[in-house]
Amino acid sequence: MIKRLTAMVAVFALATLGFAAPSKAASESDCGTGALFCIGLVTDTGKVDDKSFNQSAWEGAKAAAKVNGGFAKYVETTDPKDYAKNIGQFASKKYDVIIGVGFLMAEAMTKAAATYPKIKFIGVDQFQGAAVPNLTGLVFPEDKAGFLAGYLAGHLTKTGKTGAVLGTEVVPPVRYFGEGYRNGVAYAAQELKKKYPASKLIYHAPDNAFNDPAWGGTTAQQLLSQGYDVIFGAGGNTGNGALLRVAKKKGAYCIGVDSDQWGTLPEARPCLVTSAMKLIDKGVASIIANIVDGTDKGGNYFGDVGLAPLHDFAKKVPAAYQAKLKSITPKVLSGQIKTGVKL
Amino acid sequence: MDSKQERNLELSPVLVPLLSVVVALSCGAILVFIQGINPILAYKVLFTTAFCSLDGIAITLAKATPLILSGLAVAICLRAGLFNIGAQGQLISGALASAWAGYTFVGLPALVHIPLALIFGAFFGAIVALIAAVLKAYRGVHEVITTIMLNSIVIALADYLTSNPFKEPDQPLTRTPKIQASARMNELFGLPLGFFLAIGFSIALWWIMRNTTTGFGIETIGRNKNAGWYAGISVKKTIILSMLIGGAVAGVAGAVETLSIVGRFEPAFNAGLGFDGITVALLGRANPLGVIPAAILIGGMRASGSTVQFEAGVAPELVDLLLAMILFFVTAPLLSKFFKNRKENVAMTSGWSN
Repeated sequence: MIKRLTAMVAVFALATLGFAAPSKAASESDCGTGALFCIGLVTDTGKVDDKSFNQSAWEGAKAAAKVNGGFAKYVETTDPKDYAKNIGQFASKKYDVIIGVGFLMAEAMTKAAATYPKIKFIGVDQFQGAAVPNLTGLVFPEDKAGFLAGYLAGHLTKTGKTGAVLGTEVVPPVRYFGEGYRNGVAYAAQELKKKYPASKLIYHAPDNAFNDPAWGGTTAQQLLSQGYDVIFGAGGNTGNGALLRVAKKKGAYCIGVDSDQWGTLPEARPCLVTSAMKLIDKGVASIIANIVDGTDKGGNYFGDVGLAPLHDFAKKVPAAYQAKLKSITPKVLSGQIKTGVKL
Repeated sequence: MDSKQERNLELSPVLVPLLSVVVALSCGAILVFIQGINPILAYKVLFTTAFCSLDGIAITLAKATPLILSGLAVAICLRAGLFNIGAQGQLISGALASAWAGYTFVGLPALVHIPLALIFGAFFGAIVALIAAVLKAYRGVHEVITTIMLNSIVIALADYLTSNPFKEPDQPLTRTPKIQASARMNELFGLPLGFFLAIGFSIALWWIMRNTTTGFGIETIGRNKNAGWYAGISVKKTIILSMLIGGAVAGVAGAVETLSIVGRFEPAFNAGLGFDGITVALLGRANPLGVIPAAILIGGMRASGSTVQFEAGVAPELVDLLLAMILFFVTAPLLSKFFKNRKENVAMTSGWSN
């Protein structure tokens, strides 16, 4: 009886699907013809709404599409074996620009750039060793942003213990953030004439490094219980897990990464004093503007980094510290003060 | 349980999996519709990409190959009444071992190198399973717990080995060097060689389970340990043997994936294969031959997942969702049988091989 009922429901459900809503018109059929400027984005194995990394690249792509009256679409990668396939899907539809987000995709992007010389590729966080005319690597001096974050952390900490919960150290930008942070704390400690232990940097294993918020949360909890009161969360969704856990602890500070997480991760606001930003959206939009002008030549494009505004914490952080941060920032960004990070 | 219902469930070993797939697809269709996309379009893309072009079929079979093998690994253990949730760890162990054999031995002809790498994979997969098997046989530790924990241990160990002693020099990524060309498994008639190997394993294991005393022993212990013991079959030996076979086959699954598709060992490149194997085994009702169509269906869905995302705009989680629902519906009738049988104290694992 149950079996028959289930079968009837199944048949009924399938039958009603015939009257379902019509499919969305695929405007991308104009992509290959040159009539429409089409931008494709392939995410790393995080999600496009990871509140930092993939999301800011997508924001840049959308902004560029709007400026050029074009069309942007993304595909989320679920399996690293699919990188080439996902890039290929955009390439076979003759998209004008394909953005590959993330260091781990570099090999697939280089192969694709060679296979499809007429398409322009942008590799976020993919440093180009040898310049290829249709592949531009969008790279950032993450150590500088990490250094500034560490400098602020060094001033804010009351216990002297600062920590970081990071994605995998296999990815150089993550290591730059971490090492920069550690050196920034040391620089601040030196200025304050205090002896702080070196920042504790905890990296996730390479497997599923950027989409493990549960691990990020438990690791942050461990640090908090050991007396760490400033925690830098740098690793996509994994870092978000850490930030959210720190937000629950009164008196602890957390620092976000990649974009201004005050806006993208509001649940972290109780602790989120700032974020170490790399302006991916601005970088992507600028490179696409260069592509449209015809001035893009491949190679490496160095994007901007900085610290996000303090928002509500501007009232809580002593004015003296804010002034020091303000004066040191241009010196670090210009290279006058060295971060001391060498990988 | 009255005889009519029992007859219905046994008369149609194909009906329950088929029905579960249909019901799961219908539920999935409702969710896709709620997302604002035409489910007919989404399913059309899903199935035509996987099965309606030569390229698509090649990719589907390539994705199905490790699933057949990991499905077999779980199925054989199910037949013995054991839940082998450790297929993922055994698979990774085999993948790393075969990658090591693939890049370390230079100058061997392909005819020697490939079997050697596969044997390495089988051996190290079996070793991982042996730990859980011995604990179960001699100490009664439930294999679900040990195999899940061993998964974590193996993954962490593999990450460590790939970052340090086995790391490819002069580059920052965590991966082993590429395997030698002589270790690569290529194509046969345009289809992956590994696929034929997997079919071969499936037929061989089916034949063993049906026609040998070993197979008979495994089946008997699976249905009723005490009856088997009374008949003189050693329960301990059978548990260990079936887990060894399961571990070895899962190791071969990892090895085939490394030698045919990935070409080296890189963490995260074998994600989910062991766990999908559980779905494959249950969908195939723990039958070594039934595992083949189940694996092809699931392989096809995984292969076309990103295309469905691209063409229809459906979220990439759709395939995961469908597989989870299929798993749920395929086990539902057995769950109801379990609750009915509780009074007679029948073990839940004894019903899987219907």
